[in-house]
Formats: sequence, C-alpha cells, structure tokens
Amino acid sequence: MSAAPERTDRELLRRYHKSGDIEARERLIEQYLPLVRSLARRYSYRGEQLEDLVQVGCIGLIKAIDRFDVDRGVELTTYATPNIIGEIKRHFRDKGWSVRVPRGLQELNVKLSRLIEELTVQLERSPTIPELAKAAGVEEEEVLEALETGQAYATLSLSAPSGGGDESDLDPLESLGTEEHEYEISENRAVLAPGLRVLDERERRILHLRFFEGLTQSQIAQQVGISQMHVSRLIRRSLEKIRAQIATDEDAT
Amino acid sequence: MSDTVRLTMPKEDAYYGVAHLVVGGLASRLEFTYEHLEDLQLALDGVLANGKYIEGETVTIELRVRPDGVELRAGPVAETLRVDLEREVSEDEGVGLGRLLDTVAEEVGVEAVDETSWLRLEKRLPGKTVTSA
Repeated sequence: MSAAPERTDRELLRRYHKSGDIEARERLIEQYLPLVRSLARRYSYRGEQLEDLVQVGCIGLIKAIDRFDVDRGVELTTYATPNIIGEIKRHFRDKGWSVRVPRGLQELNVKLSRLIEELTVQLERSPTIPELAKAAGVEEEEVLEALETGQAYATLSLSAPSGGGDESDLDPLESLGTEEHEYEISENRAVLAPGLRVLDERERRILHLRFFEGLTQSQIAQQVGISQMHVSRLIRRSLEKIRAQIATDEDAT
Repeated sequence: MSDTVRLTMPKEDAYYGVAHLVVGGLASRLEFTYEHLEDLQLALDGVLANGKYIEGETVTIELRVRPDGVELRAGPVAETLRVDLEREVSEDEGVGLGRLLDTVAEEVGVEAVDETSWLRLEKRLPGKTVTSA
C-alpha cells in the first residue's frame, strides 16, 4: 500500500475514533475489502462459498477498525490481517465438519481408521485401497471419498486446539493420544524455524518424528499411541498451520 | 510406453481436491498402500499450497507409472524453486516444501522442459512391481 492511502487511513481512523464519524468507518471498510477478499480466498476451497467467507472476514475487519488504537504506530493492515484470518478460522471451527460432510462418509471414515489399524497388524504393512474397500464392504471410490473427508476434517479443525473440546462425536480417535513421552523439543533447532512456533508440543513432536527422524505414519502412531489416521490429520493440520502463519508473516511485512 | 495421467487445472484452491482424487484413483488402481498414498498426497498438497512457485494461471500435474513406482511432475514452476529446495534441506530450515518432499519421495528435483522448469519427484514402492495396463 502506498504512503498516500496510509495517511488517509490514519485520518479516517482518527475521524472515527475521536469524532465518532461513522462515514469514515464505512470508507475504511470499503478500502479494506480487497484485503478481506484476498484472505478469504485462501480458505475458500474448504467447502465454503467465497462470498460467505468475505462476509465473515468483514466482521474481523470491523472489529479491527473498532479496536484500533490510533495512538500506536501500527498500520491498520498489520492489525487487521490476523483479526480477519482469526474470524474466518473461528467460523470453520464453530461449524465443525458435521454440518457439511454426509454422516455416512463420516461413519465410513471412522470405520476405515479402525480397519487401517487392524489390517496393518494383520498384513504387517499398510493396507491398499482395494483391501480397505473389501474389508469395509464398500467400493474403492467410497474409500477414497471417505479418506478425503478425513482430510477435510483436518483442515476444517485447523484452529481447534489438539484434543480440544470441539471434536465430532464421530471422531473419538481425535481425543486419544494425550500420553506424553520424554522429548526435549527445545533442543531441536529445526522446530524453532519460522512458522513452527504456532504448533503445540505434540504437533511439533509428530512433525519431528516424520520429517527429521524419518518414521512412517504407522511407526509414529505406535510410538505416540494414536491411530495412523489421527497422525495423518495432525501432520496435515500442522503443515497447514505453518503455511498460514508464514503467509500471515509475509503479509505483515 | 508407460501409462501417464495428466491433469491441467486452474491455479486455484477450489480445484486442488480434483488433483487429490486423481492421485487417489491412480493409487487405488496400482494398489499403493495407504501410507504410500498419504505420501503422494502430502507431496501434492505441498506443491499446490506453495502457489508462489507455480508459474502462470494453470498448473499441470503428470503422474507416470513406472515399474518400481510413480513419477510425479508438476509445473511449470519458477526456477527459484530449485535453489529454495536445496537450501532448505541442507540448512534444516523447519518443515517447508523441501523438507516435506525430501521425506515423502525418493528423488526430488527441478528439471528443464522446453525452456520451462518442472518439479519432478519419484515415489518408489519397495517390493512391488507396477505394471502398465
């Protein structure tokens, strides 16, 4: 953003905060709509209409404008971006997956999670899609669709705390694996890299085991005491968190 | 000649699920294990999520069936990807695209094709011989 609009922003913010000028507030909202749209677009592939997400993002923008401290040297863009993203993430978290994923697919997803564990033990390797389909008594395409559903859950629950309270009752595995092992994460400089600070200890540990120790998902599942599918979700969610954080950092600079 | 599946789609998040299903369908046909499918999809997600490396308005994903696994090409990509991938893995810079691909695939590189650059990775399936149709 050029210097001229920044000056305008500050003038408008002063007019709104010092004199209660509602028109100035509306002009700010209009000016920052492209930012909201750009941020909303990043989340639009998760099953929500872009326009709906823009509306949600606007709430974050309005909150940012209303709470903005004009006497601080921060730019509105810097302050508004995390507010807008936060509002969009909260929207996904509040809705959870049960409102948009057919119940049958959720149930199949949970069933597959159990079958993956059982077949991995039985076959002494990870099962193939046809093997899973046969064991579940469904078509291969249904298996793929249900697995894809699990990934949707991983991203939709992006902002949910791990093992937190908003899991679906159809995802009991999400609440497992709270057992902590001895692990001095702070000694690993890789986990201190940009973006990784947004992860909790368990997420950092799982990423470390997968990407630095080279353990497979099933090995991690065994070591951490959770299902393979849960490991998969945690990995996806962690990577998504890192990417979102890095993008936010880049937007702010 | 080996079997090849090629998908060209707009560089937009809304289409990435299509690529996921294509990889899933191929994995199912070739009887990949769940873990191998996960690896391929993580690689694909990593590439697509780093849109800054993808040049142009569309992205092409090509999956080539080999006797010992699958070769995935994505592009065209920015030449800077080559440098970033090498730097990231060697410098241990967290879990970015380089670290991710290095973990889930056996070979990762950027190759030149007709004056464009393409990301190329190989996913091998140990103990398995994959045959074309």
